[in-house]
Amino acid sequence: MNTKNTLKTTAALLGLGLLLTGCAQDGANANGAAASESPATQASALQASETWAKAAQDGMTAAFGVLHNSGTADVELTKVEDKAGNVIQIHETTGNGADAKMSQLDGGLKIEAGKDAILEPGGTHLMYMDLKAPLVASETGQLTLVFSDGSSTEVPFEVRNFTGAKESYENHEGMDHKNMDHESMNHDG
Amino acid sequence: MLLGTSAAAALGGVLAGFGTSQAVAGQAPAAAPAPQGPQYLPFHGKYQSGILDAPQAHAVFVGWNLNWREGGKKDQLRSLLKMITDDAQRLTAGRGVLADTEAEMAAGPSDLTVTVGVGQNLLEVMGGAKVGTLPGFAGDKLQQRYGQSDLLIQFCGQDPTVLAHAVRAVSKNLRGLAQKLFTQRGFMHQRGSSDTFRNLFGQLDGVNNPKAEARELAVFGTPDEPSWIANGTTLALRRFEMDLEGWDEVATAGRDFSLGRRQSDGSPLTGSGPADPVDLDAVNEVGLPVIGANSHVALAMPRSAQEVIHRRGYNFIDGEVSGLLFASYQRDPAASFIPLQQRLAEADLLNTWLTPTGSALYAILPGIEPGMYLGQQLLG
Repeated sequence: MNTKNTLKTTAALLGLGLLLTGCAQDGANANGAAASESPATQASALQASETWAKAAQDGMTAAFGVLHNSGTADVELTKVEDKAGNVIQIHETTGNGADAKMSQLDGGLKIEAGKDAILEPGGTHLMYMDLKAPLVASETGQLTLVFSDGSSTEVPFEVRNFTGAKESYENHEGMDHKNMDHESMNHDG
Repeated sequence: MLLGTSAAAALGGVLAGFGTSQAVAGQAPAAAPAPQGPQYLPFHGKYQSGILDAPQAHAVFVGWNLNWREGGKKDQLRSLLKMITDDAQRLTAGRGVLADTEAEMAAGPSDLTVTVGVGQNLLEVMGGAKVGTLPGFAGDKLQQRYGQSDLLIQFCGQDPTVLAHAVRAVSKNLRGLAQKLFTQRGFMHQRGSSDTFRNLFGQLDGVNNPKAEARELAVFGTPDEPSWIANGTTLALRRFEMDLEGWDEVATAGRDFSLGRRQSDGSPLTGSGPADPVDLDAVNEVGLPVIGANSHVALAMPRSAQEVIHRRGYNFIDGEVSGLLFASYQRDPAASFIPLQQRLAEADLLNTWLTPTGSALYAILPGIEPGMYLGQQLLG
């Protein structure tokens, strides 16, 4: 399963071509330790950039960005938390359009050494299952990313308006959820 | 007597006869900017871009009023300005904003500048600096939809498609946070021109705009005598509709006498080239003034160094309505733009064909270094 995730993130990176190249270096949200030969922890190898979360009053929403593993060993993101105590899952999307299905990753999100995991609408993303307080556009949220070695790092996520990619985190009234796979979700947090 | 207002619009003569800047005024720059291309103008610096720079071919002035939420206004404004700063630095670098669904359109910014100003309402939130608002002027027929807004962003660029994306991207990010009051689009020079352009009356506009150091002085003042804040300035934005049908009926002599300059080449009626001095004392063979006292150039001529403004206006056509988006930058509007505009509004011969429908004044925020956000000097 982890192998599958890794392939998926690599494919996403190739699919985006060079668009994001260099973002990890100059992104306003670059976070984490500078690359070094062998970072002490997985968290210290993480460089996050282009990080943002979709504004929402309540219910479900999602966060996106580029997570770069600057180290020489693979890392695995296993848990995402915030100070508000929101339940945040790592989701993947399979299929396209009306057939898109979202589900919680079985296991963590593995990022190979030197590679990026791209979190984007329609792809892998961090999913807030039931917001405890609104995410207000223009404000900055913080998420704590926890890795398989127990290390963690705080990453800022800029909150932005977003009305595209109407997957189930869209939480719109009248939204048709029939094609979405939410078996694994717990809407009560 | 003529009713109506003015327009520093057409004007060639703002600086005519004025100081040393006259020596260089009107000289065509050696090379005109290419109309399109992937040029980058800096976002960071002492001053915001889009002010002293040679005007780009296209502009969009967008005004918003903020929607305040519960809680401190200062915090809300800070968040909003941080977001706009992030948007502006990405767009001017040719990148999409965060959450951009059309980031491809940002590539090749073509001299894109994003210049941010705030009205007096927001200055109060930021600590109470004063720029004030524009008074009413004679002849004003203002429409509220082109009136004073809390926030103003001037988007300028050589490529209208890139520009459209920039406006859209910033607007999307502001949804819910602010209500758009107006979007005023303008265009100016034809290929090969630069600081001067033909307004829709056909007149050569911008002939005697201050250049180089004179421009910087007029806009930002000096360290001892800055604008409302060091490295900031003010923007007066007035919308003048032009009666082009009425203008069609005016013969060349009448047009030239109203302006005080010749439509053909922008030269004053007392000279043979655009850079020649405007001589208000010159009389013709029967003893009448060559340039009328109520001509546009006579009234627009600065009465002192304090009155010099830097015009960065644009033509507009909005459906069947044509006119000029008069945009001027000046250190202190109370000492420059306002008295100048009052004089023109009272008596300018061109007022016959001009109707002012929009009017607003903004405090343009000082420039910033990388890592800062616009307004940080005030909001900390």
